[in-house]
Amino acid sequence: MFKYILKRTFQMVPTVIGVILLTFVLFNVVGGDLAAIAMGKKVSLQSLETFDEQRGLNKPLFFGTRSKSRACEDQDFSDGAGRWRGYSNAVYSAEAGTLTLQPGAEIDPLAFELKAEDEFVWTVTYKGAGTLAGQALSSNDWKTEKILFQGSEEGGFSTADVPLEIRSVKFRRVVKNPFDSQLLFYVKQLARGDMGYSESQRQPVAQLLKDGVLPSLSLTVPIFFIGIILSVSLSLVCAFFRDTFVDRFLVTFSVALMSINYLVYIVAGQYFLAYKNGLFPVWGYESMRYLALPVIIGVISGLGSNIRFYRTIMLDEMYKDYVRTAFAKGVSKPRVLFVHVLKNAMIPIITNVVIAIPFLYTGSLLLESFFGIPGLGYLGINAILSSDIDVVRALVLIGAMLFVVSNLLTDICYAAADPRVKLK
Amino acid sequence: MWGDAWRRLRKNRVAMLCLALVALFTLMAVYGELVYRYHDFKDITPSYQKTHLDLAFQPPSSKHWMGTDGLGRDVMSRLVQGVTIAYKVGIITSLIAIPIGVFFGCIAGFFGGKVDDFVVWLYSTFASMPGLLFILAIAMVVGKGLLGIYLGIGLTTWVGICRLVRGEVIKHKSQTYVQAAQALGLGSGRIIFKHILPNISHVIIVTFTLRFPAAVGTEVFLSFLGIGVQDQPSWGLMINSARMRLWQGMWWEMTFVTLAVFLLVLAFNLLGDALRDALDPRLND
Repeated sequence: MFKYILKRTFQMVPTVIGVILLTFVLFNVVGGDLAAIAMGKKVSLQSLETFDEQRGLNKPLFFGTRSKSRACEDQDFSDGAGRWRGYSNAVYSAEAGTLTLQPGAEIDPLAFELKAEDEFVWTVTYKGAGTLAGQALSSNDWKTEKILFQGSEEGGFSTADVPLEIRSVKFRRVVKNPFDSQLLFYVKQLARGDMGYSESQRQPVAQLLKDGVLPSLSLTVPIFFIGIILSVSLSLVCAFFRDTFVDRFLVTFSVALMSINYLVYIVAGQYFLAYKNGLFPVWGYESMRYLALPVIIGVISGLGSNIRFYRTIMLDEMYKDYVRTAFAKGVSKPRVLFVHVLKNAMIPIITNVVIAIPFLYTGSLLLESFFGIPGLGYLGINAILSSDIDVVRALVLIGAMLFVVSNLLTDICYAAADPRVKLK
Repeated sequence: MWGDAWRRLRKNRVAMLCLALVALFTLMAVYGELVYRYHDFKDITPSYQKTHLDLAFQPPSSKHWMGTDGLGRDVMSRLVQGVTIAYKVGIITSLIAIPIGVFFGCIAGFFGGKVDDFVVWLYSTFASMPGLLFILAIAMVVGKGLLGIYLGIGLTTWVGICRLVRGEVIKHKSQTYVQAAQALGLGSGRIIFKHILPNISHVIIVTFTLRFPAAVGTEVFLSFLGIGVQDQPSWGLMINSARMRLWQGMWWEMTFVTLAVFLLVLAFNLLGDALRDALDPRLND
């Protein structure tokens, strides 16, 4: 048994790595400019850079010696002048695709003061003469040059009495350790157990998660247990009355339940039960009474698919040899069903049930936000709506990790119950 | 196989009713798309987007069969446009999810070994992600609008198809017709896609019918939250605006929209079940 547990735990490692990689790819690679998603486009470049720096987003993705800086965007002047149009003593020519700095010009294109201890590099394609970051440029033909300078120095262009034509500029920060990447930063952050900082709530994400767990559990745990008891009993009823009116009615009923949108349950429940009849409070989280309606809605919305699922399991068992033997021995139908079949059907039922456990922690997105229960689901919806990247990422990651762990627990339980599993 | 299945399906009266309903919805979707394209092409505001504040909140009448909404727009014509959106979501997400799932399922089942290990790792990673939250996160990262919905739903729902196809391919791999094809020296690609795939196509069709309503439900949900469709009449947006009106006694928009969602999802669910029974008679004990 110990060997099996060890083996299964070891098999879990690739999935955990996969989950970390997937969240990384989703947010850092696909996400592109997270700072702009989180803070909007109307904030200063300096605050975007600060956001990036706190989250390690100003580093290369996986590996690299250069990384972009928000202080100056890349510009190829054959595509347009971009932010360079604003300088009075620089003339842009669209046909030639060049920017010409007039004699005596002094241009500092950097949007904010650079960090003094970092090193930066300009890559500029130019003709003419001038200085860039304190170093002289001089060439009669088009020439591409890299200019290295320290963040504490002046980084701008200037010309004396000859004009300087520029075709393209690139501005990069020098990364001293090429492995110091966003991926490494992310993994280190996770290893520290640091979940990041919520921009909209001005609190560490870990604190928000801690505060949200209890309300979530107070909603999902009752739904979970009532749901299981109700759907397993109804599926037993189906199996008992197999192929009669009752069975067919329950099956059709559960398909109908499945087809009603979750939203409809919530809206109708809130309107008819809470508002019209005043049976329950409409919104809030103050006492147990406030939980009654969301729990009822949660149970009903899951009932349809659960009845169908458990019914299939029961019917699978019904056709096995031991059931035929029991009937042949003259055991009564209820006894066969409730003692023999139910016991054997427990294994797949438990599997299905344990798998659902991680979702208890993440709560119910919709129920919580509609009934104002301050749990993790509510947190998640608000984070999505306010583009709070760190919170969303933490919730996705924790949900996935819990799923992986409970998968492992299911397998161990399964092996404990059924020794044949270990041999596979 | 298809002829047999059709005969079995025709005997099932509920399934035929659902098929008719699906056909009706499909016609509505095509009509809605044509109306939308026409107005888009002519660059005029379609009637379902025009506001008539003097006609706001009219209960169902002979002129507006399903009443009007808060901006005086006819609920029925917006409902038809909603069918178009729902179909677009159902079809495009399937076009993303099914090819990915089928491709990975086929190569994993057929080649086994390292390829299988990789595919199993890939889908168990995706399967570990918390469903709706992951879709929402994708939609958030990609940006508001239909594209986010397509990618969010499409990239998360291929896992189930992949598992099914992988299992089927493993079953078929040991069958004699595959062994014969291998003995004849046919290439792996040809065996998978020309010989095995047609034999498991019923799995794909049933999956399509059953995942369609799920995708529609998710779209309604996302649009309701304001992450999905922005300016077109989607069912989710309609439910969102009708929800508040309901409390003031304006029941019609809410009722008809939820009824439409319910009928569409129910028809596809029942049809999917019937198709599975008809196409795979082994399941009927």
